[in-house]
Amino acid sequence: MRFRGGHNVLLKGRPDSAIRVMPEPKVLYLPLRSERFTFSDIQVEEGDKVKGGDVLAKDPDNHGVPLLAPRAGTVRLGAAENHIVLEDIAQSEEHADMVEEEMQHIEKQMGVAGINRYKLLSLGAWQFFYDAFTGELPDPLGTPQAIIVSTLSLDPFVARGDVQLHRRLLNFTRGLEQLQSLLEYQPIYLAMPNITSEFANLIRNQIRGYAWVKMLEKPLKYPFDNFAILARKLGFKSSNGPVWAVRTEGILAVDRALTLTKPCTVRILSIGGTGVSQPTHLKVVPGYPMQKIRDKYVFEPAARVLNGGVFTGGILTEEMLGVDVECRGITVLPELQEREFLGFIRPGWDRDSYSDSFLSSLRKDFRERLTTGLRGEGRPCVACNYCEEVCPAGIMPYLLHKYLYADLIEEAEQARIDLCVECGLCSYVCPSKIDLRTQFVEAKALIAKEKEEIRREQLRQEEARKREEEARKQAEENSE
Amino acid sequence: MKWLLNVIEKVRPTFEEGGKLKAFHPIFGALEHFFFAPADRTVCAPHIRDPLDLKRFMSMVIISVVPCVLAAFYFFGLRFLAMIIVSYAAGLTVEAAFAIVRKEGINEGFFVTGILWPLILPPTLPLWMVGLGVAFGVFIGKELFGGTGRNVFNPALVGRCFLALAYPKAMAASYLEPSHDLAGRLLTWVDGSTADAVSSATPLALAKQGEMVATSHMFLGSISGSAGETSAILIILGGTFLLMTRVANWRTVAATLASFLLLTTALVGGNRASYDMHGVLGPAVWHLFAGGLLFGAFYMATDPVTGPTTNAAKGIYGIIIGSVTVLIRNFTGYVEGVTFAILLGNIVAPILDEIVIAIRIRRLRSEG
Repeated sequence: MRFRGGHNVLLKGRPDSAIRVMPEPKVLYLPLRSERFTFSDIQVEEGDKVKGGDVLAKDPDNHGVPLLAPRAGTVRLGAAENHIVLEDIAQSEEHADMVEEEMQHIEKQMGVAGINRYKLLSLGAWQFFYDAFTGELPDPLGTPQAIIVSTLSLDPFVARGDVQLHRRLLNFTRGLEQLQSLLEYQPIYLAMPNITSEFANLIRNQIRGYAWVKMLEKPLKYPFDNFAILARKLGFKSSNGPVWAVRTEGILAVDRALTLTKPCTVRILSIGGTGVSQPTHLKVVPGYPMQKIRDKYVFEPAARVLNGGVFTGGILTEEMLGVDVECRGITVLPELQEREFLGFIRPGWDRDSYSDSFLSSLRKDFRERLTTGLRGEGRPCVACNYCEEVCPAGIMPYLLHKYLYADLIEEAEQARIDLCVECGLCSYVCPSKIDLRTQFVEAKALIAKEKEEIRREQLRQEEARKREEEARKQAEENSE
Repeated sequence: MKWLLNVIEKVRPTFEEGGKLKAFHPIFGALEHFFFAPADRTVCAPHIRDPLDLKRFMSMVIISVVPCVLAAFYFFGLRFLAMIIVSYAAGLTVEAAFAIVRKEGINEGFFVTGILWPLILPPTLPLWMVGLGVAFGVFIGKELFGGTGRNVFNPALVGRCFLALAYPKAMAASYLEPSHDLAGRLLTWVDGSTADAVSSATPLALAKQGEMVATSHMFLGSISGSAGETSAILIILGGTFLLMTRVANWRTVAATLASFLLLTTALVGGNRASYDMHGVLGPAVWHLFAGGLLFGAFYMATDPVTGPTTNAAKGIYGIIIGSVTVLIRNFTGYVEGVTFAILLGNIVAPILDEIVIAIRIRRLRSEG
């Protein structure tokens, strides 16, 4: 399998492989929004006492994926905007197994495979699943063409798979077995880095016994962990149905939900980046107060805190009081403070660049202290072709930019803007500092909206036609 | 350098909206950003950016022509400095005027044109022609199309083409026999009026009359020709640097030179062109080093804006430039054809891109 493009940015502050347990919190702030979900259907009331694993809210647009209470506590709804606050936290009580009657009822309705899917959804494991092509939450009752499992997380920085797998290899393989029980004959692809570390070998030896797991070795280069790229490289077409994709934490959650029937409410997330005093991994529950993490790890006075990695993450504003249910890492970048004097004629020994225009290209790889600086002025495109060379999706970013600049949405669509995986590398390498990724994200959203409108319009017309026909028939009957 | 930043901050209001000199904001901005990197920050993902910007990109080209510039000083004297100054002054005036009218920043692209321009001129050309040519090139070749990044033709070559057609006699008479002293003409001023100036024909012009200059001289550069184009070895040196930094694409250069060598060899081997030289490869290599071919291939054809963008089109573009040069040199009244060949290449570049892009989009259609 051949990959094209890609580029690794070596950012200072790589999280080490330890997992630190944060002290138990007194209050939890559970955000009602995360990257994919909006938990608008609130299931509890002010002052309710909940147990760990109880459903606090559901997302009606995403197959009713639940927001689970990670701990027992008292619900406060109005305490913070867009958050459910849990006070008087106690760890001891955990939500018991699912009620027997309920289970039997579901089993009658959906069969054994159905009950497993129901467990995944209601115990919080389903939220770790992605549709490889769209990145959305797949339908838990659907049938995938295949499942892609990836242990890689290459965006700097999000929680790494090898760290999470440490000492939990058995859970991982058991999780894979459980996952297989959901399928009939569809294969599971396990994407692993092709490094020869002892640990990687250990996993490979473990997996070799499972004939239904196909190993897929890939280079450690951003963004080859992207599910859409993997699905395309494996030859799947989005028109043939969904391909499920899941990362290490998802497999561990599947194991917990199906083997132990326990709710999955613990997250491992990384904290790293230039502005972090001790880059590492943290074990927290969703809703963990963000301020506590900031106090302990962020030392830069003027820093941008990101939810996710530097390439795709969003800015974590002060309004976000707690860790959300999808958070995989917190990256801290110092804001640009000083303006460099005659920066463009410096030899650039300490500047890591995709191009070879700096002296650092004679140097071995090193980690650079990067800030949020744009590092240049915005200019028109000079057609240097770097964006196309680096693009992992094989599209032509400069061409799409040209089309979008001239408002030629249809042409951009034909040039397959939909294949863009939004990895952000084109924006990163552009010497004219054009924000290509944002343009593409916006254009894709616009195209999706237009398509939805067209679909609705067609439905409306069809209905109108049907009604007309009926009316005509009725009129005919009446006249007869 | 805090004091300089303070000065800049102090005068800034004069050039901002509402200030007295707000029309000159592009010039102020260019100066400010020459000294200090911009303070802009990213606003959304990706939150970090590559250190390469257009200033650095263009500086690489300027650094790579330093050997040629030094050689021009050595062979043709201090007058070359005056040519550089006139070139920058005239060109920047046009550039700045357009920046003010368009209310855009002054683009770095001109700094490359300004240094490449005197290098492709005969060394004793009257200075007013130097100024006129570059102003014409920047105005017609670049600004009318919308400035750097939107121009179709290489501005320096448009200027040269203009001079060659408008003042053919002055151009032909301005070539100078280089100094053969060890010290060269490092500190001397030589122009058309100086006694020691010997106007001499270029090797390509001599070849038309059947007189062949030794290949070794052309390799080192002690021949008559445009100021920066005489020394093959220094052009290859600077050009290799440019290829190594990946600012210039190797495909264009390789395709140009390879197609040129191949076609010349074929012509000489097939007795379609004969030179007073032994063997088949001899005249081909001689032609490779003669005139502006190497300079054009390394510095002019590789201009990312006027050349094609896609890699496949770059190869075809190079082949067109290389072979058209051979055809002009051997079968037309002109002794040198690189300028015309590259301008012709500029014309076809967008079409080549269209074709390659159409093929790629057709292939993309079946993906995912």
